[in-house]
Amino acid sequence: MRANIFILERCLYGGANMHDLVEFGIDELGKRDIQYGDFRLSEINTEVINVKNGTVEAIKSSESKGYGIRVIDGGWGFASSANLTEQGIQKTIKRARKIAKASSKASEPIELKDIDIHQDSYTTPYKKDPFKVDLEEKLDYLMDVDEWMDIDEKIKVRKCNFNAWKTKKFFASTEGARIEQDLIKTGGGLSVNVSDGEDTQTRSYPNSFGGDFNSRGYEFFENLEILENAEETAQEGVDLLDAEQCPEGEMDIILNTNQLALQIHESCGHPTELDRALGTEASYAGTSFMTPDKLNDLRYGSNIVNIVSDPTAEGGLGTFGYDDEGVKARKVDLIKDGMFVGYQTSREGAAKVGSEISGSMRADGWKNLPLVRMTNINLEPGDWSKKEIIEETDKGIIFDGIKSWSIDDKRLNFQFGTEAGYLVEDGEVTELIKNPTYTGITYEFWRNCDAIAGKDEWVLHGVPNCGKGEPPQTMQVGHGCAPSRFRDIRVGVGKW
Amino acid sequence: MVGSEQDFETISEKLEKEAKADEIEVRITKSDTALTRYANSQIHQNIGQEDLDVSIRAVFGNKTGAASTNSLELDSLKKCLSTAEKIAKYQEGDPDFKGLPEPKEQQSVKENYVKNTAKFTPDQRAQKVKEIIEMARDEGIDRVYGAFKTESQSLFVANSNGVKKFSRFTSSNLTTTAIADWDDDQGFGWGESCSADVRDIDHIDVGRTAIEKGLNNLDTEKIELGEYDVVLEPLAVQSILMYMDMMGFSAKKVQEERSFMKGKFGEQIMDERVNIYDDISDPEMIGYPFDYEGVPKRRVDIIKNGVANEVVYDSYTAGREEDKESTGHALPMPNPMSPLAMNLLMDTGNYSQEEMIEETNKGILVTRFNYCRPVHPVKGILTGLTRDGTWLIEDGEIKHPLNNLRFTQNLIEAFNNIEGIGEKRKLFAMGFYPAYFAAPALKISDFNFTGTTEF
Repeated sequence: MRANIFILERCLYGGANMHDLVEFGIDELGKRDIQYGDFRLSEINTEVINVKNGTVEAIKSSESKGYGIRVIDGGWGFASSANLTEQGIQKTIKRARKIAKASSKASEPIELKDIDIHQDSYTTPYKKDPFKVDLEEKLDYLMDVDEWMDIDEKIKVRKCNFNAWKTKKFFASTEGARIEQDLIKTGGGLSVNVSDGEDTQTRSYPNSFGGDFNSRGYEFFENLEILENAEETAQEGVDLLDAEQCPEGEMDIILNTNQLALQIHESCGHPTELDRALGTEASYAGTSFMTPDKLNDLRYGSNIVNIVSDPTAEGGLGTFGYDDEGVKARKVDLIKDGMFVGYQTSREGAAKVGSEISGSMRADGWKNLPLVRMTNINLEPGDWSKKEIIEETDKGIIFDGIKSWSIDDKRLNFQFGTEAGYLVEDGEVTELIKNPTYTGITYEFWRNCDAIAGKDEWVLHGVPNCGKGEPPQTMQVGHGCAPSRFRDIRVGVGKW
Repeated sequence: MVGSEQDFETISEKLEKEAKADEIEVRITKSDTALTRYANSQIHQNIGQEDLDVSIRAVFGNKTGAASTNSLELDSLKKCLSTAEKIAKYQEGDPDFKGLPEPKEQQSVKENYVKNTAKFTPDQRAQKVKEIIEMARDEGIDRVYGAFKTESQSLFVANSNGVKKFSRFTSSNLTTTAIADWDDDQGFGWGESCSADVRDIDHIDVGRTAIEKGLNNLDTEKIELGEYDVVLEPLAVQSILMYMDMMGFSAKKVQEERSFMKGKFGEQIMDERVNIYDDISDPEMIGYPFDYEGVPKRRVDIIKNGVANEVVYDSYTAGREEDKESTGHALPMPNPMSPLAMNLLMDTGNYSQEEMIEETNKGILVTRFNYCRPVHPVKGILTGLTRDGTWLIEDGEIKHPLNNLRFTQNLIEAFNNIEGIGEKRKLFAMGFYPAYFAAPALKISDFNFTGTTEF
């Protein structure tokens, strides 16, 4: 017999509000004889506008609502569902417990680090709600950007985009936590693909893979100056076709902030995730060379290298009030004066190694299990200026715009390529070069960092596509940094 | 959870009646994923997820808008439809968009839905994992890692032109990494198995493969960088196929001059023994028999006897060329990545892996690659590292394990340098998107290693 839409309507979403559902869920969990339980309910709205070659490639609005339940009942169990009825919640709790019982076949006792229990709320500070700005206004802006990129027939693909995310999130635990958060994120960018029939190049602004993103409102997108940079970026894409190939050899390199953000992400962010260091990602994303025995003992970088995990950083894409275990956002040192001093942790991991807790557990949406994820992993500013760094470089390359990135599963050997490079000779920028690549070993590379620009040139970039976990989860993270120099690095890898 | 074909039909009929747009498409996906992860010989993550997504494309002339929701509440569905229609109306129109697909006859493809997989319990997964852990302990290995996943997915697509399709499939995948410890040294090994039917997963074989590799991978040595003959096991070949797919096998990439296939059609670009094709009808393949626009998937012979033959299309990219039809390879639209081959296979040859090794004077045996990324997509240059078992081959024998190596290699050149193709192929799930590739082992000469790491 064919189901009726109105029956479906009554089956699901009986009209209960989110607070009531959270209270119901945590009450039900509290009635079970379990070591621990938490209930996380989220409603996520997204808006994507992609313009390509003067037409709209995609405008999509989406909403998703559901909840995830974690329990410790002999072992870990997690179940999630979009069935927002009391019956659905009870069924999902039952599933989580059944899974936990199965885990107990091969699980050691689980201990969670004690934390302060909060009843609180947090809202991203913003000026303009990106979802309330007229679609027409955003579209008109992107169409203008597209026109400004349309300067040469060698430009085969012009792309620009706007993205916004709004998340309403409730967290409750059997320990008494009740946390409500409203998070808003916004961003966008542009790119061109150019071809002369022989070679193809790409150039983007303000960063590759969709631009730049922050935990701010529409004002962040407005201030990105995408339109103002459209023509120049497009022209540089065309210029790359005739640029010289990146030279091979060892020389000093200067990383602009968009590329340095990725360098931090891959070579410091991931290896200081405690779950990786303890092996829990060994079969998928990999492990880490920064194992607990090296804590406070490994010289990771030069004395001027200071890297922190900071979910309190204003506007960071990894900024929030509380993580998905109810831990209040806090700044934690990872690298201090070049020494490895801290991890990004979960409550379970911190209890295992007796470390400080960083508040780094986050899940991709309601459906997934929280994992240790980067928040804003920031390189603290130094006391140089980029101008001074260039002036004091005899021979080097400035790398700009992420293009290719690869690193081994312990995060030691890496190889990165950027969209553009600029040769520096005798303290001056002399020439645009194409297909620039550099490679190294993480700790050797950071030990060769001898100049970091200061606060005035420090930028907090957003990386919206960090992948980790099984099933795969995508996380939004931030990386703050200023242009920096690294001595004697191998560049120009491979045969061209 | 609500989610039968009839439920979905009811929803789409209701939405079609409500719609003001010239054309609408209703796409509903439903999934139930269960996954048991283990690390350090303990189950540390164990999950069950269920979700449902309703996506609507509304079309006015050549303007399209899209919206999605995971709510089946009538108000939410109506709001979703009205948002898609509002978005469509704002646009100026895309002259290349020729409308939603018309119904097309479906070739008969067996449904890959296996009840035993869909009903596999957490207890059953945990028991298999426990047996792997115990087997490893018996061999002196206290650290095994991996994941055992079982899932069922269903897809319903209907549009106002009369397309109405429903299909479902199941998938199961088991991976094991074994880390053998000896003094301060560690040996890494890998095993994997994938099938629509969980009863085909031989967990003992997966575990044993990983354990043997781990034990044989202790005391690794560094090797001078340069070009070597390589014997790539099927999982390493699958990584290469995945990046070839992303860099070159889509009509969009060709149209935008971003594919290494551009301008090469009809030319011999690889060894003549190379046949790479997308074919959901192959008995070992997993997936839906139609794409996310409801267009039946047809076999696409992408590389035929080494010749660049054809690429995959969705309805949009087909509409941009004369006399082209969608091959049934659309992703959920709108989607900048569409179209994409999701069921790639490479033809087998007549070499066993043992014969490939025996015929190698000096070379490297690779279990799998890690973190591959295109360096220059149009030139087909890829970089990545070996992982979970790399060995030096000398005089036809495996000599000793090697530290992991970084390659930076033109893949088209590599597939021109093929010396042997394995007689068997293996199916793998892609992980980040619901695609399944089947690859044989390959022996390739002059593979360029450009870096090494410390383990």
